[in-house]
Amino acid sequence: MTLKECYSSFGGDFDSVLLRLSREQLVEKFVYKFLDDKSFHLFKTSMENKDYVEALRAVHTLKGICQNLSFTKLYESSNITTLALKENDYQKAAESMPQLSEDYHLIINAIKVYQSCKEA
Amino acid sequence: MKKQKILIVDDSEMNRALLLEILENQYDIEEAENGVAAIEILSRQRNEFSLVLLDIMMPEMDGLAVLSHINKYRWNERFAVIMISADDSPEKMQRAYKMGAFDYISRPFDSVIVRRRISNTMLLYERQRQLEETIAEQFREQERNNKLMIAILSHIVEFRNGESGAHVLHVNTITELLLRQLILHTDRYSLSKSDISLISLASSLHDIGKIAISDEILNKPGRLTNEEFEVIKTHSAIGADMLSELPTEQQDMPLVKTATEICRWHHERYDGRGYPDGLKEDEIPISAQAVSLADVYDALTSERCYKKAYTHNESIKMIIEGQCGAFNPLLLQCLEEIADLLKNI
Repeated sequence: MTLKECYSSFGGDFDSVLLRLSREQLVEKFVYKFLDDKSFHLFKTSMENKDYVEALRAVHTLKGICQNLSFTKLYESSNITTLALKENDYQKAAESMPQLSEDYHLIINAIKVYQSCKEA
Repeated sequence: MKKQKILIVDDSEMNRALLLEILENQYDIEEAENGVAAIEILSRQRNEFSLVLLDIMMPEMDGLAVLSHINKYRWNERFAVIMISADDSPEKMQRAYKMGAFDYISRPFDSVIVRRRISNTMLLYERQRQLEETIAEQFREQERNNKLMIAILSHIVEFRNGESGAHVLHVNTITELLLRQLILHTDRYSLSKSDISLISLASSLHDIGKIAISDEILNKPGRLTNEEFEVIKTHSAIGADMLSELPTEQQDMPLVKTATEICRWHHERYDGRGYPDGLKEDEIPISAQAVSLADVYDALTSERCYKKAYTHNESIKMIIEGQCGAFNPLLLQCLEEIADLLKNI
């Protein structure tokens, strides 16, 4: 599996990120780094604790990372949640969570598969 | 050459790492993970930084609060602040610009564009700083030349009078000291610091009218006859007339206006018994009053072809007792107050 195929599998735009960051190794480095990024988990816990300020900050950060890495699909779902929280529409934010979670895990799994293919 | 230094302020480690990756070959990078940490670093070592990359949404203290602090203390005169928020809504961007941000880099980051915008900003700041330095240096140079020209001119006058070249310098200094002391007591004369510098500079020209007086009278060793003294007395009006014959646009210059007042009226006396116009009290411009007192003090303490030098204490005493004509009581008070400084001139 190539990194480009990995991107395609989770709805990302590999060509765009490669154009912006110039080197495939750099894209790969940050894709791996995404596995350790805490913003999604922070968002989830904050929503559970009804700490919407922290939840907004976390999902906003996640959105920014998705923009930089061209995780197009997750960007779109995190953007919907960010806007809902900005408008204090907590119900809408909660409703957007399953999609966000699905998109997030799709990426995490795809990266893990890519990583194990590479290491194999 | 030493690398320029950038402070990256962002709560997301991923984002800081990405910017570090893009920039670390060209710049020294320091990182702060929230606004409080950024302010702490900048309070301590802001002079080291050429640029701050600032996220908006952060815990502890957000980017706009950091920006407001930077703007309040005018730290951004030395370094540029570029916003790097994922929030690129027009209202956030406008607000950041209004609060002093230099630029706004939106997501997603493009390594080439980020590098170029940062280097352009730094170049602009550097050029601006160099320009300011050049202009300041040229200004100082020009001012030095102006003062030099006036010093040469007044030295020529002094030289012919057979007075020491130091007289003009002394009158400059004493005039300035007197007026600085005066504004501590009253704002009646509404003198700014730059007015005082101008008067001090113009005082160099107080005796230019003497070039029209013949050598025999001007440098006569013994006592002058009444007729001869009448001739000497014309030097103040002649000096002012010489300046009033300058082209109109030059006459309107503050230096020339002030010098004209000083030339014409530096022998007026506070009780109206001076010359050429017999002005009294504050009919005499404060510039001429101050130069007049400075001129008398320095004449007393210097040796001339017709007299020996009096000591500092004798001279002050003679002036205060009114042996050399009447002066503004407030200026006399100032003279006594600055007496210790005068001893060292």
